[in-house]
Amino acid sequence: MSEAAAAAATKSWINGDESARQMLGRAQASRPSLSLPAPLHRIPLRAGNVVEIAGPSPSAKTQLLIQTAVSCILPKERNGVHYGGLGHSVLFVDLDCRFDVLRLVEMLRHRIVQVNGCSCTADDEEILKLSMRQFSYIRCYDSCELLAALKTLHHRLEKEKESNGIGGHLLMIDSIGAFHWVDRASTSLPLGGKNRKYLSLQNVLEVVVEDLRKLMSAHPMLVIVTKATIVGTTGNDFRRNYKRWPSAGTFDASSELEGLREPYFREYMPPIWQSFVTHRILVRGSDDHIAMPKSQENNTAYVSEWLLPRLNFLDKFVVRNAGVFLVS
Amino acid sequence: MASLKRLETEFPILDPDFQSFCALRGIFTVQDFLIRDLQSLVADAEQQPSSERFMQAINQVLYVIDGLHQPWLNGVDLMEDAQKNKHVLSTGCEGMDFLLRGGLRRGQVTELAGPSSSGKTQMQPRVLQEVMNSILCHSVYDIFSMFDVLHCLESKLKYQVMCRGDNDERLIIIDSISSLITPILGSSGSQGRALMVSAMSLLKKLAHEYNLAVLVTNHTVGGDGGIPKPALGESWKTLPHVRLLLSRDCGSNTYQVSLLKHPSIASGKAAKFIIND
Repeated sequence: MSEAAAAAATKSWINGDESARQMLGRAQASRPSLSLPAPLHRIPLRAGNVVEIAGPSPSAKTQLLIQTAVSCILPKERNGVHYGGLGHSVLFVDLDCRFDVLRLVEMLRHRIVQVNGCSCTADDEEILKLSMRQFSYIRCYDSCELLAALKTLHHRLEKEKESNGIGGHLLMIDSIGAFHWVDRASTSLPLGGKNRKYLSLQNVLEVVVEDLRKLMSAHPMLVIVTKATIVGTTGNDFRRNYKRWPSAGTFDASSELEGLREPYFREYMPPIWQSFVTHRILVRGSDDHIAMPKSQENNTAYVSEWLLPRLNFLDKFVVRNAGVFLVS
Repeated sequence: MASLKRLETEFPILDPDFQSFCALRGIFTVQDFLIRDLQSLVADAEQQPSSERFMQAINQVLYVIDGLHQPWLNGVDLMEDAQKNKHVLSTGCEGMDFLLRGGLRRGQVTELAGPSSSGKTQMQPRVLQEVMNSILCHSVYDIFSMFDVLHCLESKLKYQVMCRGDNDERLIIIDSISSLITPILGSSGSQGRALMVSAMSLLKKLAHEYNLAVLVTNHTVGGDGGIPKPALGESWKTLPHVRLLLSRDCGSNTYQVSLLKHPSIASGKAAKFIIND
């Protein structure tokens, strides 16, 4: 290279391709942060993040997913009415096979009626159908089906991109530990052939993580995963859940402080999954009953705690017919 | 899982060249394909002399893989299916029906846990009375015979749907699933839990695809403070759709059922009812 060309090349390298402001502007435009309902609202989340909601059963994890799905599939604005949704499509991968679509419809209807008031039911139905069309659902009964679904998801999304244009996606998986025991117990029979891998827990999760990474790089996507803490819990959570019975004894006033201590569940997902997750929330039932002034029921409150990044306070929320609400 | 060799008869593009290309990378069956990194395989294939044919063959295998998972359902279809097919079956007991907003829902697995002589088995004839179809009874003594019975049932239901478009069966009752699972649940080793998860997976599949309600009973063990809790451990809690805990007031006919878990009703509610013989 001649001296002048070398000097020009060095100069352009020093000057850079774009300024920091331009880069931030570009990043904000292509992967904007999504405003999600509580308690996911504490940290700005954007496409490319992987959020794990962990908790014992039952702790309203699926309700949180459904609430987030409702906020996502509602359009931002339609016929001049502002619904405040994101208008993104939601891909729901149900590994637990316990999803109740009527609950999603109930929550969606509440939101729509809240915005529209009690009039225009034909409009309501139209918005409901429009939102539900943004919701895609698949069940997987074992790991092979999950792997097959993830491998073919890319093509499906490509086809959608061609017909509908680029839109954001939210991928929800409920729950990632569903096949943990089955995969752990699958025996490793010696397979013929040198490089053959068998369907073990480690291998399956490696492939899942790889496929999710590729999907996220090809299509802007936020991934939210629930995980039931099925291994190694102590008796503490039982005491919490059973205090709700009418014949039970006194409440435990110190239960609130337990949230600030180390979580009592054991992590059973292999390190490859743990390093893939970028955000982590822990939810569990709390001992307090929140007495609602207008209804006769005592709703159980749940407590959520952000573990990654660590926030040192707890959010308390209740689940009502209309959805998940923060109680401060 | 089909081997590539067997698939060659159906899809001639998977010729022996492609099979040996795959065999070098340890891929002999479709399952091996699933567990491999697709992108590196495609990159490898592009460097081969007959890269176009290999790419076509890979796409063909992906097409086969697309048939291996359940179909993606749109929210609207899901909603219509739930409204059309997934009705409730009354339990015959008003208190329980009120608690469950109608009764046992088809497509869901309901667990009824309670200590012995808490009315679990007495509940069941009431459920059955509401079912107008013939009652088939199978005695099973271990979990493997239960799998056999369920697989036979699955073939029968598939056949019925294929011939008539609908199946007669409405309800499966397993009394008690805990007696089948407890002997195989050891504290270490995952075989027992794996069988439990697979059994429930099969039940949920049957419930959803053939619109059946499934009722399983469970016994209780002592928990903290002497309050009984359902057996089968922590992993079991994530498996059924609806979980009910039954208890009986001493020496009387009054039973209390409380809702531990439900996909759309707040847990913690309870109902009392009386069973007169």
